[in-house]
Amino acid sequence: MEHTHSEHDSKHEPPVTYAEVNDTVLKMMEPPGTGWYLLFFSCIFLLSIGAACWFYQMWSGFGESGKSHPIGWGTYITNFVFWVGIAHSGTLISAVLYLFRAHFRQPIYRLAEAMTVFAVMTAGLFPIIHLGRPWYALWLMPYPNERALWPNFRSPLLWDVFAVSTYFTISATFFFVGLIPDIAAARDRATTKFRKVLYGVTSLGWRGNHIQWKHYTAAYLIFAAFATPLVVSVHSVVSWDFAMSIVPGWHATIFPPYFVAGAIFSGVAMVVTLIIPLRKAFNLHRLVTPFHFDAMSKLILVTSGVVTYSYVTEFYTAWFSNNPFERFQFWFRPFGEFWLPFWGMTFCNCIFPQLLWIKSLRTNIAFLFILSIFINIGMWLERFNIIFQSLSREYIPAAWGGYNFSPVEIGITVGAFGWFGMWMTLFIKFFPSVAITEIKEVIPPPMRRASSHGSGH
Amino acid sequence: MVDSSTRAVVGIFTYMDDALEAVKKVKAANHEYRMYSPVPRHEIEEVTYPEKSPVRIVALACAITGCIAGFALAILCSLDWPMRTSAKNVASIPAFFVPGYEWTILFGGLGTLGAIFVFCKIPNVLRTAGYDPRFSHDKFGVVVACAGNQVDDVKKRMMDSGADEVDVRESL
Repeated sequence: MEHTHSEHDSKHEPPVTYAEVNDTVLKMMEPPGTGWYLLFFSCIFLLSIGAACWFYQMWSGFGESGKSHPIGWGTYITNFVFWVGIAHSGTLISAVLYLFRAHFRQPIYRLAEAMTVFAVMTAGLFPIIHLGRPWYALWLMPYPNERALWPNFRSPLLWDVFAVSTYFTISATFFFVGLIPDIAAARDRATTKFRKVLYGVTSLGWRGNHIQWKHYTAAYLIFAAFATPLVVSVHSVVSWDFAMSIVPGWHATIFPPYFVAGAIFSGVAMVVTLIIPLRKAFNLHRLVTPFHFDAMSKLILVTSGVVTYSYVTEFYTAWFSNNPFERFQFWFRPFGEFWLPFWGMTFCNCIFPQLLWIKSLRTNIAFLFILSIFINIGMWLERFNIIFQSLSREYIPAAWGGYNFSPVEIGITVGAFGWFGMWMTLFIKFFPSVAITEIKEVIPPPMRRASSHGSGH
Repeated sequence: MVDSSTRAVVGIFTYMDDALEAVKKVKAANHEYRMYSPVPRHEIEEVTYPEKSPVRIVALACAITGCIAGFALAILCSLDWPMRTSAKNVASIPAFFVPGYEWTILFGGLGTLGAIFVFCKIPNVLRTAGYDPRFSHDKFGVVVACAGNQVDDVKKRMMDSGADEVDVRESL
């Protein structure tokens, strides 16, 4: 469709005044319509299915999960790794790209941060569900007890407890700190009593005076510096759950960077999946522009390249090691009886994203939405391949086995999407899902006289 | 410390450079003031608070504490309940790097949050004197505390600097 220059400008040029930014973002928080309620109650419905399946599993026993020897880690751990991976890119976008002053992050980072917090909340459920008896999850914590027992600090599973709980705490704190000035802006515009109280309390009495801004900006930078090593550490620690074992297909030194790149890859894809409908629903075309999609597409392309390289390296290492068990494992994945998840993963993660080399597709919204869904499916299959295929073909042929998804596992997996979606829809309607302050920072301040600082900083 | 008889003169500005000029004038007259803005700007920092924030010192101290606490937790727990593997050390430093590393970040992050609360004086939900909701929207504000007989002088300085409006309230 042809646009005149002025039509194009009015639709896609970013806001130019502080007031415009407030108006555009806070408009998203107006009382919800039918579409929002439909989405919210759909999520509640999915969550109810998951909750019912989980309670049934607790009541009936862990045998309902479909796991049996030799597949002791199945769908739940696949889901755990998948959701931790989804969480990852939020921190990359909010912290790492903040330190690098990458301005393309500004309209999308709040949503990415929210995604991080809610995805970690989802991921954290799965090891607990996987316990079978969730009330024993407390035993993972090093707390004084009458038997003087302590957890094993040399176990990667305990490292996971430290890594994921720290990641959640810091991500949630970083997320909340970033929200404070924006909630204050919402507070100052709230009309209903409920919203006045909600924003009055959650903005903590923020006023935006020069002393507050001074300490706030210093602290925000430090938060970003603390969160950045977490981008590297969390998924590295998750990968050690596998790499520290001696299972063929798991015992690989490439796992930490491979997992981190995969996590960023899937997380950016999830941001694209979420931001496209949001942009359409709330008419955010002036905040989230083709420039931002182009930048995210390039990030997807780079991480797809790293992930593909990692897959190839795994095969090369297995061949070069001359270890028959490793060699068999990596023959089995593409050519064994469970070839479909492997080739599905390869198509979704390695082949399909290569279309992003075509510039016009990097800003084609419909294509990006479809691609992002495929990448999310591909990344779930990647974790499934790593966990399921490796465990199904370990050393002794007599111990080989298969795995059948149970309806309970499928229900809980679906329920996790409902849980995640419920928090996202609540957040979008009640809190600013685009960062007001940071967008204002790149807009030149109103000046009566010429400024020597130029625009943004 | 501002006593209860002190008045707050609230200047509302559309332009940042006007507000900064007003700040320079009230600073020169040694008045206590707050400058409000919808967004942090280096230009404002340079005029109002050029010193470095102490938040970084708190963050560093908490991070070092967290590192020591993480390693100490893992080492002391392992010594209290030793799980020996052949002749390997019970206190296995490489394995304990993870709790040490994670708690460095955890304590540092939470310490930074605490520092924000202390230095920004939040939570402080009820204090609203001198604040105008437009400060979070698109206006800049300069709120000056002064004695009743200085109000006219401060108002004049604000208007001369380009304030859109100047209001006098009970206290800062």
